[in-house]
Amino acid sequence: LHAFVLQSTDSFCEHISVGRLSSCEDTDTCCISGGPQQSLFARRVKDSRPVEQRDPGWKLFGKVPPREGPIKDPKRIQKEYETKSGRAGPGNPTSPRHSVRKNLDFEPLSTTALILEDRPANLPAKPAEEAQKHRQQYEEMVAQAKKRELKEAQKRKKQLEDRCKLEESIGTAAQIWNQEILPNWSTTCTSRRVRDLWWQGIPPSVRGKVWSLAVGNELNITHELYSICLARAKEKWSTTPAPSLETEAEDAGSSNRESSLELIKLDISRTFPQLCIFQQGGPYHDVLHSILGAYTCYRPDVGYVQGMSFIAAVLILNLDTADAFIAFANLLNKPCQMAFFRVDHSLMLTYFAAFEVFFEENLPKLFAHFQKNNLTPDIYLIDWIFTLYSKSLPLDLACRVWDVFCRDNEEFLFRTGLGLLRLYQDVLTTMDFIHMAQFLTRLPELIPAEQLFQHIAAIHMTSRNRKWAQALQKDPERGSPVLKR
Amino acid sequence: MAGGSVFECKEYLFKVLVIGELGVGKTSIIKRYVHQLFSQHYRATIGVDFALKVINWDSKTLVRLQLWDIAGQERFGNMTRVYYKEAVGAFVVFDVTRGSTFEAVSKWKHDLDSKVKLANGNPIPSVLLANKCDQKKESSNNTALMDNFCKETGFLGWFETSAKDNINVDEAARFLVENILANDKGLPYEESNGDRIKLDQETVAAESKSGCC
Repeated sequence: LHAFVLQSTDSFCEHISVGRLSSCEDTDTCCISGGPQQSLFARRVKDSRPVEQRDPGWKLFGKVPPREGPIKDPKRIQKEYETKSGRAGPGNPTSPRHSVRKNLDFEPLSTTALILEDRPANLPAKPAEEAQKHRQQYEEMVAQAKKRELKEAQKRKKQLEDRCKLEESIGTAAQIWNQEILPNWSTTCTSRRVRDLWWQGIPPSVRGKVWSLAVGNELNITHELYSICLARAKEKWSTTPAPSLETEAEDAGSSNRESSLELIKLDISRTFPQLCIFQQGGPYHDVLHSILGAYTCYRPDVGYVQGMSFIAAVLILNLDTADAFIAFANLLNKPCQMAFFRVDHSLMLTYFAAFEVFFEENLPKLFAHFQKNNLTPDIYLIDWIFTLYSKSLPLDLACRVWDVFCRDNEEFLFRTGLGLLRLYQDVLTTMDFIHMAQFLTRLPELIPAEQLFQHIAAIHMTSRNRKWAQALQKDPERGSPVLKR
Repeated sequence: MAGGSVFECKEYLFKVLVIGELGVGKTSIIKRYVHQLFSQHYRATIGVDFALKVINWDSKTLVRLQLWDIAGQERFGNMTRVYYKEAVGAFVVFDVTRGSTFEAVSKWKHDLDSKVKLANGNPIPSVLLANKCDQKKESSNNTALMDNFCKETGFLGWFETSAKDNINVDEAARFLVENILANDKGLPYEESNGDRIKLDQETVAAESKSGCC
């Protein structure tokens, strides 16, 4: 019995994509190898995405690509093979290639590409009885596999349908945002309906615009001002000798140690490294460098602080460079961000203390467990707040948090933190200090978005009739948790 | 572990700090030490990260190292110094390809000694790591210089390490733990609930497979 399993695993046909970056969606190439047959397929997948979401070239977050490689076509391989070897049963014609994707019926997968081969010609043929037995075994195997895969396929079909529905709703929402909300922003942005839509997530195609409008431009930064700051930064870069190994080892001026420029360089490559677009040679490396550099010239008193590179990067993914800079500077100018990025210790402690008020109110059991283990909020909140969750949450989820953060301001950052604690409450209560600390500073890679938002929604931001802003007012009775340690 | 144990096994929990300038490879060293992994793609640490290494030191001794990976930017200093509390050992890391990071070592060491002390008032044992030695340009022999520097600044010793090529990471850790054990000021680890035991056993299996002893 010669059985060749044709591989059609995902790893072969997955889009060459990183994160949500996918520019090769339209042509999928699938390489199938194994055994004597080798085929290479390339086919077009019918593009069913709404027009407004189809952007050319590099575009991140502009669309939600199907996660699963659409190419799973062993059925055809099998048929092709069967046709070629004269095994195709009657009434089982090879389907035309374009229809495979269109009718999304259950497509059994790789195991149907298990092929029964006769012995090679140079060997004596099998006795008829043995051949019959093998055929029977073969058919049983295939039948079983098909059954299993049918189940899988049904599951996948359900997922695909869900995704289509999701994409459709995103398309519809994008239309509403574009045609109804954005043109009348000042009157619509506070309406109940818009706020509800907002909570559900801003469609990626209008996200940048909405963020810009919501963050505003209190600082009145113009594109010209950005150009001036950037020019100044570039001047500084060119006058500061490149920190080549030799010169640096020599002068190693301690005054230069905290020089923002060097830190920016070091951090850029460590910003979303898995996306490979901000690293040296990547398409957005210079843009990120420019925005961070320009900011250090715009606000030399603040300079570059770790965490900024993540915020700037998320903005770059959704806005043009100058607009990203404007949003960046205005975002950092919000009271909570200013407190953190200026590392105003006492103000930060006030934020942590306010967070604890709502923590205790909403999740008393977990709060007690944290206290018992001496796990203070600074340990996990510093990372969450400094990067606005862009480092700790999957990017698409982080963007949804940003959506509502733009609507509800800083309060939502802390509410999100409590939502996360609520989501993982059960597992956290079984852990000791170090495991909790590890868990919270490195959240699971897959976080169910809808569930998280349900948990965030369940967090009440009132405590004994006090709202967030009131809780932030110094409460003399409540000492700082960090100082207490 | 809890009750019924044939051997009398002593358990220690040690809090160890990993400090040094931004981008010298603190996270990489920890990942190498704990997970036997290296990647060029580590993200910048904001605030503090954690790792746990469980070492079967000898047949009668189990050591849990709680590694505190502290963000390198000076600006965070005010916030992160509170994390020094109760540490019983430290690595100070610099990058051999960036002279400025070595210049900063004295500052970090001074910082450390001023913020945390052993119960007897002595500074906590600390080891200097000259990381990224795989990228070192010239192999100038400055062993004597470095030995002298360690003596002056109060390091127990120094190691040329490479998280990338797995050079001296285990050795340095073993050296530090030996010294911490010699001080024997570690807090005996107390089992207080059943859940923890379960978790810890998993950790032992997952984290100490190729432990350093």
